[in-house]
Amino acid sequence: MIRRLYMTLAGAFLLAPLIVVGVVAFTSASFVSFPPPGYSLRWLTRVLADPSFMRPLANSILLGLAAACAAAILAVPAALALARRQMRHAAEIESFLLSPLSLPALILSIALLFYLSRLGLGSGFAGLFVGHTVVVLPYMLRTVLAVARGVDPALEEAAHTLGADPWRSFIHVTLPTLRPGIVAGALFAFLVSFDEVAVALLMSSVGSMTLPVAILNHVAHNYDPAIAAISLIKIVLVIAVLLALELFFGLDRLMLSRARR
Amino acid sequence: MRRWTAALLIGPAVLFLVGGFVGPLTLALGESLRGGIGPYVRIFGDSYYLEVIAATLALSGTVTLAALAVGYPYALILARAQGWAKTVLLFLLVAPLLVNVVVRSFGWMVIFGRSGLVNAALDLVGLPKLDLLNSWTAIGIALVHVLLPFMVLSIAATLEDLDPALEEAAATLGARPLRRFIHIVAPLSLHGAVTGAILVFALCMGSFVTVMMMGDNRTMVLPLLVYQQLSVAGDGVFAAALGMVLLATVLAVFWLQARAVRTLTP
Repeated sequence: MIRRLYMTLAGAFLLAPLIVVGVVAFTSASFVSFPPPGYSLRWLTRVLADPSFMRPLANSILLGLAAACAAAILAVPAALALARRQMRHAAEIESFLLSPLSLPALILSIALLFYLSRLGLGSGFAGLFVGHTVVVLPYMLRTVLAVARGVDPALEEAAHTLGADPWRSFIHVTLPTLRPGIVAGALFAFLVSFDEVAVALLMSSVGSMTLPVAILNHVAHNYDPAIAAISLIKIVLVIAVLLALELFFGLDRLMLSRARR
Repeated sequence: MRRWTAALLIGPAVLFLVGGFVGPLTLALGESLRGGIGPYVRIFGDSYYLEVIAATLALSGTVTLAALAVGYPYALILARAQGWAKTVLLFLLVAPLLVNVVVRSFGWMVIFGRSGLVNAALDLVGLPKLDLLNSWTAIGIALVHVLLPFMVLSIAATLEDLDPALEEAAATLGARPLRRFIHIVAPLSLHGAVTGAILVFALCMGSFVTVMMMGDNRTMVLPLLVYQQLSVAGDGVFAAALGMVLLATVLAVFWLQARAVRTLTP
């Protein structure tokens, strides 16, 4: 009884702001109120045709893909080294590579701002790319590392015994076994970058502005239902990415089990 | 040869973080000290900045305790749920994480706003409207919402590892549920609670978007001050110094809690 009451309250608390945003996106009024006086699609159609939201959306997607790819290129070999080889100071190196997780992103953002202007890169896409790669690298590493630690080293040894050189055994044996970790890690990295505000707020210029920054700027100047509409579009996109992953993993597993047979 | 391969594999990631993480932080520390310790004297000599630091610590502490109080029962139920119920509980918990902090704060603005959900409900029962936005309470509630999943997931992870046989043994020996909780479940999940608390506290110390959206001049926190010094006042050196104070505070909390974990866990 108490448990049911608690769960109802906790569920309501967790979902309340999301439901409110979803409902306000369909308001017919020109102002934000809850519950809305009537319902229409005017704000959704308006936002979808508004380049001041659609261009940042494209920027965010591009940045997320770039940061996830860069993080994968850096993190996959590092995870392999940490999981397989008996390396000295492996624990210290691992906690160093994971350390950006525990630092407030705002501090990293300020530091990067000084640093990149010193290097002459300035703000804009380059700064955002470096900043987001630093932010998402630990997520990528953690996910790949979890999979790499579970892989049986006998597989690689078998490939070696059968005469495969290290490169071939990496492509045909190691990489396929790591694939679920790499895909999940890259997706996670994409979502983290897609959601990141602190670095994006300081680093982005007008041309490279990301979607969260565009929404934040819009809230600062006009508090209208357009924010709810673009937020709803963002929520739907994130859920679509997650469903795609679920589908991909389902298919992937199907293919794996067939290969084993 | 083997060591050489390992270095080659791990080198790029390490070099990237040295260049893109350690380098910038060192430079920012240097930048804050470029004109001597002046900025730090200004921070620690001015009661306004000290009050902002105290308010930030108080907010983070309160949010952490609230997240612990709300999150512990959730973690307990989540860890013991099976099958379908577990999926629903996990989805409920993770769904807000997938929504941007800007969007979630906007949602709370709509709930607490003058023509929002709370005031509509108050109006319905004939009570006067409240101005809830721009208050520490509203900011605190929104921050608990933003950070709760981190707390619950940390605690649930330790509860999942808990051997159910321990509790069964205690029950067989006649211990009532409350005693079983106090003597078995609580001590053994302490580690997860401390981990969750550290995470929530550190994340809260760095949160400024929610405060920026939902607060006003009276509700100032350290990270927001850093951001404003940089973007509004354009004082990079002072912003860097404030950022270093924020960093030092977070690191001090990590250190204190690491010590607490060492003394608490046998």
